[in-house]
Amino acid sequence: MTLKDWVREPLVHFLALGALLYVGLTWGGTPVDPSSRVISVDDARKAQLALAYEQVMGRAPTDAELDARIERYVREEVLYREALRLGLDQDDAVVRQRMVAKMDMTASAAAEIAEPTEAQLQAYFEANRARYAGARSVSFKQQLYGDRGEAVAGLAGKTGPDYLSDAGQASSLPRAMNDAPLREVEARFGQQFVQGLAELPADAKWHGPVPSGFGWHIVRITARAAEEPDFTALRPRIANDWRSAEIAAREELAYAILREAYRVDIAK
Amino acid sequence: MRKTWAGFAGASLLAVTLAACSGDAALDERQTGNGENTIKLAEFPDRPYWGDTHLHTDNSIDAFGFGVRLGPEEALRFARGEEVTATTGGKAQLERPLDFLVIADHSDGLGATRRLYDAPRWYVKWVIGDETVLRWYDMMHEGPEGSQRAMAELITAATTDSLPEAFTDPERAREGTEDIWNTQIGLLDRYNEPGVFSAIAGFEWTLMPDGNNLHRVVMFRDGSDRTRQTMPIDGIDTTVEQLWDYMAGYEQKTGGKVLAIPHNANVSNGLMFEMTMADGSPMTAEYAARRAAAEPVMEVTQIKGDSETHPLLSPNDEMAGFGVKGWELGNLPLTATSTPDMYAGSYARSALLRGLSLEARLGVNPYAFGMIGSTDSHTGLATADEDNFFGKHTGNEPAYKDRAMQPQNLGTRQGRFGWHYLAGGYAAAWARGNTRAEIFDAFKRREVYATTGPRMTVRIFGGFDFTEKDWNGDWVRAGYTRGVPMGGELTDKGAAPTLLISALKDPDGANLDRVQVVKGWLDASGAAQERVYDVVWSDMDKRPRTAKGVSPVGDTVNRDKATYTNTIGAPELRTTWTDPDYANGQRAFYYVRVLEIPTPRWTLFDAVRFGFKLTGDALKDAVAQERAYTSPIWLKQPKATT
Repeated sequence: MTLKDWVREPLVHFLALGALLYVGLTWGGTPVDPSSRVISVDDARKAQLALAYEQVMGRAPTDAELDARIERYVREEVLYREALRLGLDQDDAVVRQRMVAKMDMTASAAAEIAEPTEAQLQAYFEANRARYAGARSVSFKQQLYGDRGEAVAGLAGKTGPDYLSDAGQASSLPRAMNDAPLREVEARFGQQFVQGLAELPADAKWHGPVPSGFGWHIVRITARAAEEPDFTALRPRIANDWRSAEIAAREELAYAILREAYRVDIAK
Repeated sequence: MRKTWAGFAGASLLAVTLAACSGDAALDERQTGNGENTIKLAEFPDRPYWGDTHLHTDNSIDAFGFGVRLGPEEALRFARGEEVTATTGGKAQLERPLDFLVIADHSDGLGATRRLYDAPRWYVKWVIGDETVLRWYDMMHEGPEGSQRAMAELITAATTDSLPEAFTDPERAREGTEDIWNTQIGLLDRYNEPGVFSAIAGFEWTLMPDGNNLHRVVMFRDGSDRTRQTMPIDGIDTTVEQLWDYMAGYEQKTGGKVLAIPHNANVSNGLMFEMTMADGSPMTAEYAARRAAAEPVMEVTQIKGDSETHPLLSPNDEMAGFGVKGWELGNLPLTATSTPDMYAGSYARSALLRGLSLEARLGVNPYAFGMIGSTDSHTGLATADEDNFFGKHTGNEPAYKDRAMQPQNLGTRQGRFGWHYLAGGYAAAWARGNTRAEIFDAFKRREVYATTGPRMTVRIFGGFDFTEKDWNGDWVRAGYTRGVPMGGELTDKGAAPTLLISALKDPDGANLDRVQVVKGWLDASGAAQERVYDVVWSDMDKRPRTAKGVSPVGDTVNRDKATYTNTIGAPELRTTWTDPDYANGQRAFYYVRVLEIPTPRWTLFDAVRFGFKLTGDALKDAVAQERAYTSPIWLKQPKATT
């Protein structure tokens, strides 16, 4: 593995974050010492509180708003230390749950804040193309018949594009769709029709019949995007999907690593 | 000492905030705005876009208490078609994605139960020090059932204005709301994909004097650049005029747009559509105009029942009464029972009629609303399909196998059961493309309709010169250029209006039984009248109209297997209909109701899946005809005569 690969490795992120937390708690930040009754709000702490505010509100706090945040911080700190002093963190189911959640969060936090590279998103897209098939586009014409026999008769001998445009039964369904993503075709014609469409060649000849919830269609596909869905257009969706998959994977992996070190005896 | 627990959410909120902010840098600017100029739009609205404007997540005070642990992100992922894990453990996925979603968490106490639940017990006991809060806290931690009982008590307390102080401290509530709102609108932008999926900002405003439901969903047109400049406002202990002031203030400040959608009029005990102002004084034209402008659409069908009409209001409508059972008994928490004199203010059709009467008097119609459905699901899952129903709240997700037969009272009294819930409510918006602005504008011009879950495509146009021949050409263009679509207004010209009506079945669902026109009007004496016309139905040659009406379509439902077949009904029904009872100078509205053939309700799917027997009324109600309601087209009188 190259250094670059190491930097990408979730386990490394996990351990690095753990180390950071350790350093932060023991050396860098304010040590939480239940016996200390001094709370110092230094510039670094103020900056941190201001930043947290800004991240939520999209602007820096006013002096009064920052003072309020500091007051809130001090109050929490006092109560927190007193709670520790009283040992209230022991045997508390909620505390236990929150700590578990925090461990999961530690594993996934890097994914939450990560900006994936284009290459990562591309790779994710390639591995999950089937999920984006609804964006693939198709152009077709269709005519609707009430039953299969009529549709077969309608098809007989009609192979050219000039076939009567008003053949088949009258319907509010579109007779043609151009460059339509499959999800749009499905919204109008239903799942069965889209499945049937997939089996027909895009040779500009009339084929079928293809069944749908409405009846039987003969169909002429004039174009079908040879390319799979366009990555650029799908990028926002892929980024969301990548992020949620990444979070799940990192939590899973982090747990697997920790779990490895335990022996678990379950009574038979 | 201040008795709140908001601070304990600090750590988790920071993490959530980081998550929300992280994506922002990478967002395409097409995603963050209202979607104008982002995609190529059709010349005319090209199809109904499907959505839910009324979904709750774990930020809603009651939803969390009922047990849900899915947040806005899971809700968005689910709505756009991804698989998520439901709170009770099973995998959940929509068979077909939705096109838009409004997350509408209660603004009152936004995030409050989650903050309470996450607080350590010692804090609740010693710092908050309120016995009731501590008891609810313990009930919530004791398990799902305790949690649901705690929520029932909490809702009752909210309706009787006796919530503990800890829930109502305005300053802390504001901070909590601020955090949740800003996090959420960042998330909405991330999931907003013009042309594919519109993630729309909103909240639920929860006014309910004495438990009478006057709730509205507030829906924004805009992206985070504008919605970040506002915050949800509380509903309890306010007035609807204050909501409209807030909305006007938002529009003025940001240049954006916002509307409000009343819902569950059926549990308002007549207060949703009164003939007077809320204080009993005569309604003013100013009030009527403000209401009409702020509330162009009503949510007429959802999980907690259907508000189209009541059999006592519409005795000649043989199809009235869908989704009325249970809900007709009283107000939301059943702290006050309903009496028949209240119904006219509780249902849509009578409200539309009241609107005509008020317009005759005031010159402006306060109740000229379009109609949509939505779920009001409190599970984070926008499910409205009978065979994939995840319940009203987490306490009746499918994991609770006998949920259909269980009492499901929000309050503490008897009367409502699981089977009274409808697996229902979606909104269809006729738009030129799928963006926030296009969807919102369809609502604003009322070119929307309601369904009880299935996705039928229903299109109507009203005009004075439509004929059968219009079907042979580009009838959509004819409709828009020579008439008005649903939600539109025609001005009386001394001739009967004609409707072009087209209904396609849900492509993956049941066939259609019939299409009906519901007409409401004021007669010569000014009295309100209504009539339902069967205008086109399946197998018309075999089902002649008699004095008793059109014969029933039949019933193919197998009660032992929860199946049906499309061997009856029609996949598509179209007609051109001219009002046979038109009279010159009449104020009227026309809306279309489309009925499917009978299909199994979710209760029957449950019974078959989980192997139990439905009994009594639940069994009788296990099969129903699902339906769509279009927004009306109004026949208005020229201004001079008003």
